Amino acid sequence: MKDVAVLGVGMHRFGMLPDKSNADMGREAGMAALRDAGLSFRDVQAAYIGYIFAPVMSGARTLKEFGLTGIPMQHVENASATGSAAFREACFAVASGRHDVVMVLGFDKMTAMIQSSSQNTDPAWLEDSILPAGFFAMWATRRMHERGTKADQLAAIAAKNWNNGALNPMSQRQAGEPVTAEKVLASRMVAWPLTAMMSCPIGDGAACAIVGRPEIARRLHPGRPLVRVLASELQTERYERGHLFIGPVVGPARMSIDTSRAAYAEAGLGPEDMDLVQVHDAFAIEELEYYELLGLCREGEAETCIERGDFALGGRVPVSTDGGLIARGHPGGPTGLAQIWETTLQLRGEAGKRQVDNARVGLCHMMGGGSVCAIHILARD
Amino acid sequence: MSRPRVPVKTGYFTVPDDPNEPPRLLGTRCEDCDEHFFPRRAICAKCLSERTVDVLLSPRGTLYSYTFVHFPLFGSMRVEHVGYGVGQVDLPEGPRVQLPLAGKQEEYKVGMPLEAELEPLREQDGQDVVIIRFRPVAS
Repeated sequence: MKDVAVLGVGMHRFGMLPDKSNADMGREAGMAALRDAGLSFRDVQAAYIGYIFAPVMSGARTLKEFGLTGIPMQHVENASATGSAAFREACFAVASGRHDVVMVLGFDKMTAMIQSSSQNTDPAWLEDSILPAGFFAMWATRRMHERGTKADQLAAIAAKNWNNGALNPMSQRQAGEPVTAEKVLASRMVAWPLTAMMSCPIGDGAACAIVGRPEIARRLHPGRPLVRVLASELQTERYERGHLFIGPVVGPARMSIDTSRAAYAEAGLGPEDMDLVQVHDAFAIEELEYYELLGLCREGEAETCIERGDFALGGRVPVSTDGGLIARGHPGGPTGLAQIWETTLQLRGEAGKRQVDNARVGLCHMMGGGSVCAIHILARD
Repeated sequence: MSRPRVPVKTGYFTVPDDPNEPPRLLGTRCEDCDEHFFPRRAICAKCLSERTVDVLLSPRGTLYSYTFVHFPLFGSMRVEHVGYGVGQVDLPEGPRVQLPLAGKQEEYKVGMPLEAELEPLREQDGQDVVIIRFRPVAS
């Protein structure tokens, strides 16, 4: 990726927000990102808008909240990786030389989706009997079988993310006191061995990034570290024996290996160069697997690294520094952009109490059902 | 005399007339590379050949992984099914399939042999609408 910078980021806090519309949340996140960039909507030359659950046309209608300026816009959808995919398209729009300033906006109201689906009482078919929680619980069962992984190691990951989320004002889950692995284990069982506190919540929210030419950031914020997009990779599944064709699956583990290796190559860096990492931790077992698949530790060593605190704030390479999907939340469309928001603030040294010391390079990993893997690597100059 | 049985969705599994005969998953075999698939597909996912044929897959397989989900099965119609199992089963022809599991969590262990069966989901127009699921092979 050549000469693409994150000019600004903004969020609307994730949460159960029945009184907030997508347009309201999107406008607030977008205006926050424009203010952060030091730009007005008059400067935006194109927009990429991502959501999963809102009706058709919701992107075009939300864009009108900012004013009607005639710019081209595109809806982007890639399940959980929607925001990441929209960000990628915006980066290409800048890298191609076509546009100097592009808005990427993600929003969703998962609460509205749940309300409409609960009205459908018609008995369902295979796909509906295997929920995402059940699917990822089977990752955990298999890992326990192969590696002897313990439920309290999964609980330790979730507790870390809950406690990181408490340091993030945009996080949906804000524990009033430090969360322990014991508390995570004692929460309601969702799909054995995954408990409710090891699983991401249902929620609403919005997030926005403004991407553009690096010289714009330098001109508008001469004293602020410049955050560049070093790599953008997105892959679909490759066939291998045992591929599951039915169910809400995110594809074989190899996707995260292949996509991250491509991203490292594009950035000219390796996993050892990452100062912080965000992953698709919809369930704690996912984060455990991604440590190894992204190369943050060797195969079979994830459990040891968790117990040593390698991935906690202050550890070797902090992961899910903003609370991750488990605590910060996962409304859908904005989730990948929340990762960009967090990584950008960290690289600028503006992440407050959760700041990673001397953060120079960060990786954002998202899976989208169906499935795709999207990875971005950001770095400060 | 039991009611006639119909699948909850056609094109995925057989419903034998003989209730003692296990159901079979409807699969595809590639005539060029011999890879097998579930569900049926027109183009081989491995070698991209269009020379694919319909086959019946084995009703038995090996449990690769499983869980018991503490949510109602099939929406609000079957709230009594809180705590239902789902598993990933490797069939001898190669495909791995995800299907509901019968019974209780204590009956299952990774690597054990399983067998397919039909389970009535609801009654409709004098017929039993059935799903396919796996259970431990009767010893």
